[in-house]
Amino acid sequence: MNKKAGLGFYIFLGIFVFVIMFPFIWVFLTSLKPLDEIYYSFAWFTTDPSLNSYVSALTTRPLMTYMANSIIVSSLTTIIAIAVASMAAYALTRLPIKFKGTILGLVLASAMFPPIAIISPIFNLINDLGLRNSYPGLIIPYMTISMPLAVWILSTFFKKIPFELEESAKLDGASPFQTYRKIIFPLAAPGIFTTAILVFIAAWNEYLFALTINTQDSARTIPVGISMYQSQYTVPWGDITAATVIVTIPIVVLVLIFQRRIVAGLTSGSVKE
Amino acid sequence: MPRKGKKSFQVNEKQLGYLMVLPAILIILAVIIWPIGQSMYNSLFDYRLNDPERSQTMLSSEVDLERYIDNHFFLEGTLEDVLETAEGEPWQEEAESAIGGISEYHEQLRNEDEVAERYETVEEMVNSFEVVADQDLKYASIDSDLSESYEEALLNAQDLMNEQAVDADEEDESLFMDASSQIGAVDRALLSSNFIGLSHYTNYFQDSRMWQSLANTFIFTGISVALELFLGLMIALVIHRAFIGRGVVRAAVLIPWAIPTAVSAMMWRYLLDGQSGVIAHYLEQLNLIGDSSTMLSTAIGGMSSVILADVWKTTPYMALLILAGLQTINYGLYEAAEVDGANKLQRFFFITIPMLKSTILVALLFRTLDAFRVFDLIYVLTGGGPANATEVISVYAYTTLFSQQNFGGGSALSVIVFLCIALISIIFIKLIGSDLFEGKTGNS
Repeated sequence: MNKKAGLGFYIFLGIFVFVIMFPFIWVFLTSLKPLDEIYYSFAWFTTDPSLNSYVSALTTRPLMTYMANSIIVSSLTTIIAIAVASMAAYALTRLPIKFKGTILGLVLASAMFPPIAIISPIFNLINDLGLRNSYPGLIIPYMTISMPLAVWILSTFFKKIPFELEESAKLDGASPFQTYRKIIFPLAAPGIFTTAILVFIAAWNEYLFALTINTQDSARTIPVGISMYQSQYTVPWGDITAATVIVTIPIVVLVLIFQRRIVAGLTSGSVKE
Repeated sequence: MPRKGKKSFQVNEKQLGYLMVLPAILIILAVIIWPIGQSMYNSLFDYRLNDPERSQTMLSSEVDLERYIDNHFFLEGTLEDVLETAEGEPWQEEAESAIGGISEYHEQLRNEDEVAERYETVEEMVNSFEVVADQDLKYASIDSDLSESYEEALLNAQDLMNEQAVDADEEDESLFMDASSQIGAVDRALLSSNFIGLSHYTNYFQDSRMWQSLANTFIFTGISVALELFLGLMIALVIHRAFIGRGVVRAAVLIPWAIPTAVSAMMWRYLLDGQSGVIAHYLEQLNLIGDSSTMLSTAIGGMSSVILADVWKTTPYMALLILAGLQTINYGLYEAAEVDGANKLQRFFFITIPMLKSTILVALLFRTLDAFRVFDLIYVLTGGGPANATEVISVYAYTTLFSQQNFGGGSALSVIVFLCIALISIIFIKLIGSDLFEGKTGNS
C-alpha cells in the first residue's frame, strides 16, 4: 500500500476491467439484438433492441428447470459437506487425535483427484442404485469435490480461533462436544459461511458428473443445460447469449454480495498469516 | 487427558475426535478411494457396456443364467425335433452324439455349485417374465474347462446343423437354421473370462492418439499456467496499492472465476466463431489471423482458443492469490533494503520473489492440477477438435468410456490421467515442503 495511484494507473485499471468484462458486455449486447443483426453485423449497439432471444431461450429449453435443479443439488451438497467437514476439521485442528498428518494428506490427495479417474465406477454405482436422473444421483458424486475442499478450508479457519476460549470453557465444565457447539461453531461461523459459498460455487459449476449421470432434460443442471442449446446444424447464438445472461445473474449477485468473503476463502489456504 | 464425566457413558476428547473425523473419512473412502481402485481393476479387463458377453468384469468363466435358461428352453425342444428328423438318415449317429453331448454338458453345468444354487430361482423368474436385475443372481461363475468344452460341443452341433441345412427341403431347412441360431444364443450365454492383464496399457502406449492427447494436455497446461502466472504476477504488482474502486475491481476479477466453465466456454465459442464471433473478427481486422475462421478450424487456432479462454477465466484468480501474498510482506523489509541502497529490481528479486515463493508454489500446484484435469472447457469449446488437435487426455478417456462404451480401455486412460496427476503433485509437494500443512494440524 505504498504507492500512490496516479492517472496512468486508473487508465490501466480501466483497460484491465474492460478486457475482463468484455465477453460479458458483448454477450449481453448480443442478447438484445434482433436475430438478423446477430449473424451479419458487428455493430456494438443495436438500433432495434428486442427481448425475443430471452423469450426463445426460456421456451425452447427448460432453462428454469435447469436453474431449479442446480439450486437444489448445490444447496444440498453444501449443507451435507459443511456439516460433515466442519466436525472433521474441528477434530483435526483442536482435538488430541493421532494421524492428523495422514488424514490431512488423504484429504489433500482427494482434492487433487481427476474426476475422470472415478467417473466410470461412480456411474456404475449410481446406475445400480437406480439413482440416475435424480438429485441424490448428483449429490453423492459431488461429495468427491466438496468434501476435501470443505475440510481443507475449514481447517484453516478453525485454526485461527484462539485456544484460550476452549480452555476456559473446559474449566467451566463443558464437554468437548458442547465446546464445539457453543463456543467454536459460532466463532467459526464466518469461516463456515465462506467455505459454504466456495463449496456451493464448486457444485454449481460441476460439469462431468452432471453430463454423464443426469441425461434426462428434466434432471439437467445449468452447465450441462447451457451446452445443449446447440443442435447438430445450427447454433442459435441469440438463445445462447440470452440464456448465458440469465444463468450468470445469480452468480454475479452472489459475488457482489460476498466478494470479501470469497477472497478470504480463496486465499486462506495459500497465504501464511 | 481424559475427562471424568458425571455420567457413566461419556466419550473423552480423543474418542470424540475420532468420531468426528470418521464420517468425512468414510465418505472420502467411499466416493474417491474406492472408485479409483475400481477404475484400476476395471482397466485390467476387456470390459464393454455395449457387448453382452463382456458387459462386466469376469475373472473366471461365467454363465448368464437369465439368457441361458431362456434360450436353453427353446433349444431343448428344437433339438428333439432335429433328432426325430434325423431318424433313418445317414447322419443320425452324428446328430445323436452331438446332441447327447450338449445335454451331458448341460447337466454338468447345472451341477456347478453356484449354478445349482441359483438355477431354480432364476428359472422361476424367467418363466414369469421377470427381469433379473440382481447381478449376483444373474451371473454364476463356472469351471473354465467345462465352459470351454461345452462351447466346443455347441459349435460342433451348430456346424452340423448348418451343413444339413444346405441340402434339406424347405421345412427341414428352417428347423436346422432355428437350431443353429438357438445354439448360438446359448453359446453367447456362456461367458469366458475377459481378464486381459495390462494389455490396455501396452496398447495405449503404442496408440498415437493417446500420445497426441497427452501432448495436448501438457501443451495446454504448460502454456496456460505460465501465462496465468506471469500476467497474474504483473497485475498483482500493479494493483498492490491504495486506490479508489477496489470493490469494483475485485468483483470484476471474481466473476469470470465464479461462472461455470461450461458457460464461459459457450461464450468463447460465440466470440471466436468464424462467422459471428466478434473477437475472431477483430483479430482478422488487425491482421493477427489470416481469416476469421482460423480460431476454431485450425489446429493452432483451436489450441490458442482454449488457452485464451482459460487464461481469461483464471488469471484474475491467480492475481488475487498473489495479491494476498504481497499484502503479507512486511513493508519494513523494503525500507531497510532501500536504506542499504538496493534498487527496485534488486528489491523485487531479493524480497518480493522469495517472500512470495510459497504462495506462488501453492497457487501453481492447484492451477497446474486444474489445467491438467481440464475437461469441460475443451469439451464444450472445441469438442477436442479440429481433428483431435485440442483433444486432451480427459476428453479422450471420456469419449472411450461413454461414446464407445469401452469401460476397460477408458478406465486404463483415466488411470493414466491419475498417475500423471499423482506425479505432478508429488513433485510440487516436494518443492513446497511442509508449508502446505502449516497452520492446519494444530500444535503438532
